[in-house]
Amino acid sequence: MNSKKLTAKDFITIGIFTAIWFVVEFACGMLGYIHPYIVAGYAVILPIVGAVPMMLFYTKVEKFGMISIMSVLIAIIMFVTGMGFLGAPITILSGIIADFIAKSGGYKSFKKTVLSYSVFCIWVCANFFPVVVTADSYRQDLIDAGFSAEYSESLFRAINYKTIGILVVLCFIFGIIGAYIGKAVVRKHFEKAGIV
Amino acid sequence: MKVKLDPRTKLYMILIVSALIMLSATTPFLWAIRIFITFIPIAFLIVEKRYTSAFVFTGAYTLALIMTFVLVTDESSGFLKSFLTGYSGIVVQFMPALIVAWYVVRTTKIDEFMSAMQKMHIPDGITISLAVVMRFFPTIKEEYGSICDAMKMRGLSLGGGNVAKMVEYRMIPLLFSCVNIGDELSAAAITRGLGGTVKRSSIEKLRLTVHDWMLIMMFSALTICFVYSKYFKA
Amino acid sequence: MEESIVKIEHVSFKYKGSNNLLLNNICLTINKGETVLLTGESGSGKTTVIRLINGLIPHYYQGDLSGDVTVSGYDIKNTQLYELAGTVGTVFQNPRSQFFSVDTDGEIVFGPENIGLDPDEILERKDMVVCDMHIEKLLGRSLFELSGGEKQAIACASVSALLPDVILLDEPSSNLDRVSIERLREEIEVWKSQGKTIIISEHRLWYLNGLLDRVIFMQDGKMANEWSGNEFFSKTVEEIRELKLRPLCVRNYFTDDCKRECDGKTGCKNIVSVPESKDGAVLRDFYFSYHRKPFLFFKRRFTENDEGLALNTKSLVLPKGAVIGVIGKNGTGKSTFLRCMCGLENDCKGIIESGGKSYKGRERLKLSYMVMQDVNHQLFTDSVKAEVLLSMEKEDEKHTDDILKSLGIYEYKDKHPMALSGGQKQRVAIASAIAANAKLMLFDEPTSELDYLHMEKVGELLKTLASSGKIVLVATHDPELIDMCCDYVLCIENGRLGYMKRVE
Repeated sequence: MNSKKLTAKDFITIGIFTAIWFVVEFACGMLGYIHPYIVAGYAVILPIVGAVPMMLFYTKVEKFGMISIMSVLIAIIMFVTGMGFLGAPITILSGIIADFIAKSGGYKSFKKTVLSYSVFCIWVCANFFPVVVTADSYRQDLIDAGFSAEYSESLFRAINYKTIGILVVLCFIFGIIGAYIGKAVVRKHFEKAGIV
Repeated sequence: MKVKLDPRTKLYMILIVSALIMLSATTPFLWAIRIFITFIPIAFLIVEKRYTSAFVFTGAYTLALIMTFVLVTDESSGFLKSFLTGYSGIVVQFMPALIVAWYVVRTTKIDEFMSAMQKMHIPDGITISLAVVMRFFPTIKEEYGSICDAMKMRGLSLGGGNVAKMVEYRMIPLLFSCVNIGDELSAAAITRGLGGTVKRSSIEKLRLTVHDWMLIMMFSALTICFVYSKYFKA
Repeated sequence: MEESIVKIEHVSFKYKGSNNLLLNNICLTINKGETVLLTGESGSGKTTVIRLINGLIPHYYQGDLSGDVTVSGYDIKNTQLYELAGTVGTVFQNPRSQFFSVDTDGEIVFGPENIGLDPDEILERKDMVVCDMHIEKLLGRSLFELSGGEKQAIACASVSALLPDVILLDEPSSNLDRVSIERLREEIEVWKSQGKTIIISEHRLWYLNGLLDRVIFMQDGKMANEWSGNEFFSKTVEEIRELKLRPLCVRNYFTDDCKRECDGKTGCKNIVSVPESKDGAVLRDFYFSYHRKPFLFFKRRFTENDEGLALNTKSLVLPKGAVIGVIGKNGTGKSTFLRCMCGLENDCKGIIESGGKSYKGRERLKLSYMVMQDVNHQLFTDSVKAEVLLSMEKEDEKHTDDILKSLGIYEYKDKHPMALSGGQKQRVAIASAIAANAKLMLFDEPTSELDYLHMEKVGELLKTLASSGKIVLVATHDPELIDMCCDYVLCIENGRLGYMKRVE
């Protein structure tokens, strides 16, 4: 059990937490249907709400590969649900980097965990990449297809080349904030209940 | 009629549909292809006797299509109209992928899925984790249902108007339950030999049949038509 | 010459991070083909012994282990869990959480596939197991739509398909009703006839009569006593009570059909004359179905003539100050009854009349409180005290302390509810029900996982609640509990009330 290699139990844990993360994402995603601006708001909402399960997850496996595999799974699920594969490489990349950061802290150091989590959060922006990368042709397509200029404008006003940088930074910052909140919740509940 | 598709064909279907919805349709011909590929998984849902979901998907997709086409003929302005256009636009955009994903998840057994992943040389770890993800969604739904009941009984559903509390009261019991179930699930799976060094076998004999090849060819052909018509013809 | 298959030698164990020695120098030898029962209070080490034999200790649950465990020639300490898969099989307590697949067929073949058997052989084994266990009807279904008993049957089949020599059952009857328990007994009989070595850890004893070769009584991490099966089952009621075990035979409330002694119009005749019922509660027009046929824009109300109702109760008088046991087979509407009564099903438009007022819709939520089968779902805060305060309309610390004291959980008031034992969690839930000032207290299977001692405590608590003027309904499969505390039994069949009569 003390081996560094992931065991079947770890894979199951990873699967469970990925499922929880995805449910959280989906619940927040539902809000996005209300207005395109909220889609941009994911960069704030997801890192904070998702931090609670993630901070618990960090204490559960503590082996290299946990976040990498999770990011691969997220990439696959995103792909399956039609969010495209432009964001997938970014998701996996941020997962692997996050994994290395956490590993350098031995999965115990809180500072490294915070950093690792906020890097991991950058994948949230991967959701926006399709819109940004294909922006010009996409906008033209929308207008060609007869969409009102107003709608496409409001979408692109929120998410474009200029704002994507801000969104990435927002993800990162709120990742850090979220990590602190998440850790506090884990202390308040899970450590107190003695299951961590 | 019973057509059983190979999981690999289903994955290919997902790949193509996800790819095609990323490329916007601008001409009637392109729209036709896109609508056509949406109705293929619906047809399969009907073959699998999942009438309700087939009906709901058809209804929602058609409605969104009609709304998109009718509303955009006028110069749409005003909040409600742009809202509706936006909404139906999103539905039309992502619905096809949702339908395929639904079809694949609902008609693929975990066992079939694991053996397909093995055939495609995906590492075991990813396969196991992904299988757990698929198995766990209904569990989360069940647990969440009970938690909501409990909140209702105590009048906590709105968390006393406090958003943080609202999230906390839902998330904490859910996480406790999931961690417990996860522990028990792992113990039960491991004592039945999961994670061994032996290569896993499967009673699902995966073979690409005529149906599979026909579908794969059809999807490939549609993709080529789509891309050609969009980027080279003009 | 009898051949030993399980050998536990001088084993002591405590879990990581705990100072509590769970097993204290245990020695146990089990011979091939024996059927052995491990019994004793919760926390006496039964489950720990099971985990020693299937290798979950030390490979899954970590802790300090000394001594040796050998199963079928494998030294457990140095054997990986997956190597044991074909030798030791375990049926766990919770049917909900022990399946990996989503469909029944996949679950049965899950084990053999993991150990890489040839597909043809797996199919052969599957057919054999299905035939042995008589589960033809369950094939090709989603595991999520099965009842607890059916899930447990699939779990047994899945273990069986690995053809293990040793089969362990860890409180397998916990979540099962009478019929499913009898089915479980049949499954154990099949294994016995195949010459398997069977080790059962269990509180519920009545269904094991005639199956056991040996009974081991555990206490404080030691094997306190040992009897042969026949010796054990010829013990008197007093002797069993002395050991704090559940009774060996129970009254059968469940086999006779619910004959419809209640007449649909006036309610149950034989209780109308009960004096307490004057200030009790009356339920009117409780109709409900999970398959509603809605009109286009608004839902149609259910009426008593609808077909396929999961609950069909025109009127029912519930006496105040009494504990009413709600019985009936699994899936006959007990849970639906409770859910509708406390207003969780919005589509059920029944009215509760109590104290001269009538409560409908959401008002029923305030009148009643249900302690759910899985109490983990209804604990939200980070301390016992906060949990109770949360239920009060106006926070009143003194009242809170009083409630906690009366339930005997005052000393835990600053602990996290999830850190408590199952029975204590239940008390926390009850405390918040009292704090919410609920008149109707509903309990869904409160004792299914408890040992005799804790069951007795629950029984007393229910009586106390009733005598303080609450109306207490408890849905249960435990005849022991009914004998202990119920004043009435209410039998439900197919959503209709059968009878309600006094417990003699």
